[in-house]
Amino acid sequence: MSASPSHSSELPALMLEGVGRRFGALRAVSDVTLRIEQGERRAILGPNGAGKTTLFNTICGDFPPTSGKITFFGTDISQLKPHRRARLGIGRTYQSSTLFSGLSVRENLYLAVRAMKPGRFSLLKAGPGHADLRRVQDLAQQVRVEHILDTRIDAISHGQRRQVEIGMALAGNPRLLMLDEPAAGLSAAERPQLVALMAELPRDLTLVLIEHDMDVALANSEKVTVMKDGEVVVESTSDKVADDPMVQAIYLGEGH
Amino acid sequence: MIMMTSRQWLATAAGVVILLSLPLFLPNFWLVNIFGRAMVYGVVALSLTFLAHYGGFVSLAQTMVAGVAGYAVAMMAPTAIPLGPLAMPYFAAIPLALLAATVAGAIVGMIAVNTREIYLLMITLALAVGLSLFAQSNITWFRGYEGIRNIIGPEVMGLPFRTPLVFYYVALGVAVSMFLLVLYVVRTPFGLVLQAIRDSDRRAAAIGYYVGLHRIASFALAGFIAGWGGVLITFYNIGITPSSIGLWATVAVLIMAVIGGLGHPLGAFIGALIYTVMDTFASSIIGHDRFNTLIGLVFLAIVLLSPDGVWGLGKRLSTALGKRPQVNADRETSL
Repeated sequence: MSASPSHSSELPALMLEGVGRRFGALRAVSDVTLRIEQGERRAILGPNGAGKTTLFNTICGDFPPTSGKITFFGTDISQLKPHRRARLGIGRTYQSSTLFSGLSVRENLYLAVRAMKPGRFSLLKAGPGHADLRRVQDLAQQVRVEHILDTRIDAISHGQRRQVEIGMALAGNPRLLMLDEPAAGLSAAERPQLVALMAELPRDLTLVLIEHDMDVALANSEKVTVMKDGEVVVESTSDKVADDPMVQAIYLGEGH
Repeated sequence: MIMMTSRQWLATAAGVVILLSLPLFLPNFWLVNIFGRAMVYGVVALSLTFLAHYGGFVSLAQTMVAGVAGYAVAMMAPTAIPLGPLAMPYFAAIPLALLAATVAGAIVGMIAVNTREIYLLMITLALAVGLSLFAQSNITWFRGYEGIRNIIGPEVMGLPFRTPLVFYYVALGVAVSMFLLVLYVVRTPFGLVLQAIRDSDRRAAAIGYYVGLHRIASFALAGFIAGWGGVLITFYNIGITPSSIGLWATVAVLIMAVIGGLGHPLGAFIGALIYTVMDTFASSIIGHDRFNTLIGLVFLAIVLLSPDGVWGLGKRLSTALGKRPQVNADRETSL
């Protein structure tokens, strides 16, 4: 299922048309229209409660949109279940760590590698040297966790968990990678490592990033979408967004 | 690619050797009515522990699912009184009964798939009580209150199934096989996904697993395990009645799993043994009027002393004695 991106296509990687999500009377996201090209690096900024994570969840299927349409490389995915979207090539991380805490780093990565292939119900164990296990080794190197492969998730640091998260999201060779505040809770020493890791990602991989930290966001994106109260209020390039009066109001007003 | 550490292998081998040689030391009463009975009920408790520990859901329908296998084998048994229209040799009836339990497990899974915690308990309890009441009122198939009698089991190497040695060794063989099956399955991709869903079902879905289908499959596997217990319990009791799948039987299996400890498959058997010993001897220690009080107090003491049961108590004791200095030392490596 690891579809290789087709370079000839003019289709946007991700297209949202009038997407909204209600929870009862609460409009968490309303009428969001976005076009993200293949290979683009897009940051989504906004204050707490702006609807950034809800927007992520509508794209990944945790909470499908209640209105509007989402297409992924031309395929309408608006009402697909999360695992179907994952198999189409959407990888994501969560804001708070939701790894499989009772399993080792190796097992977490292995499950993510296996998820994209048939045999999800297999009762046969992978032998040593199996291609899936070599892939786990490569992923671990890529996200720099190869030294803790046999440690259980509940025994590793927060920063290491974020790295495992990204490794798992990359395991299925996604065409679109969505990172929900990857730098949240990281120490000053861990941040540059994350930025470097993200800079190493393949160029044809489309990246959408929610980030509170302006510096991390701008260092890793070309375009920026700013949300407030569930709506897109500014769309700009990364080098100009800081000059936007609306963005200044939001961020200065929030006390950053 | 080791299933257990070498120390765990050693302990397992030692345990099996001791169990194999028990007939040399113990009278038949202990072989059959204590150890044999504990092992066959332990298999049902094991199916509950498997779902609870690795899947994160406590199902109260496991006794009922075992009962499906028990009733199925009874309806098809060639020796049944009264003999049913489906009578066939045991070698065909037993696999079909196991299949029935597996399907019943899957159906329980389908019904309960979107529920968690207290709601899952309520749904599975309702299913358990429902089947028991149905069996009680249905005469055509389940023979109502009377149940189906004379389910003596097949002959094994020319000996009646109820021969103490035959029953003991078959029960031991089944119990050890199911125990090893669980330990094996939880290290396979299927078993790892099950634990992944337990830890974070949203993330399991986000990396591409169909969580609902995996849940149902795990209930089916638990049904297969419980089915083995159900078949052997029916042979042990020489028949089956609605009360053997009723509320009290359901609670008994839950007690076994909890006092033994839900943290490890072995807990199911430890719990079943303690339960069986208490159930057998409490009345001779304290007299017939008060024996349930004694049983209740012992179980209360175990759960208060160690919320994770006797298994958890043993684990903490051995940690305290410094046998296991590392955090992860007691955990099998799988990959």
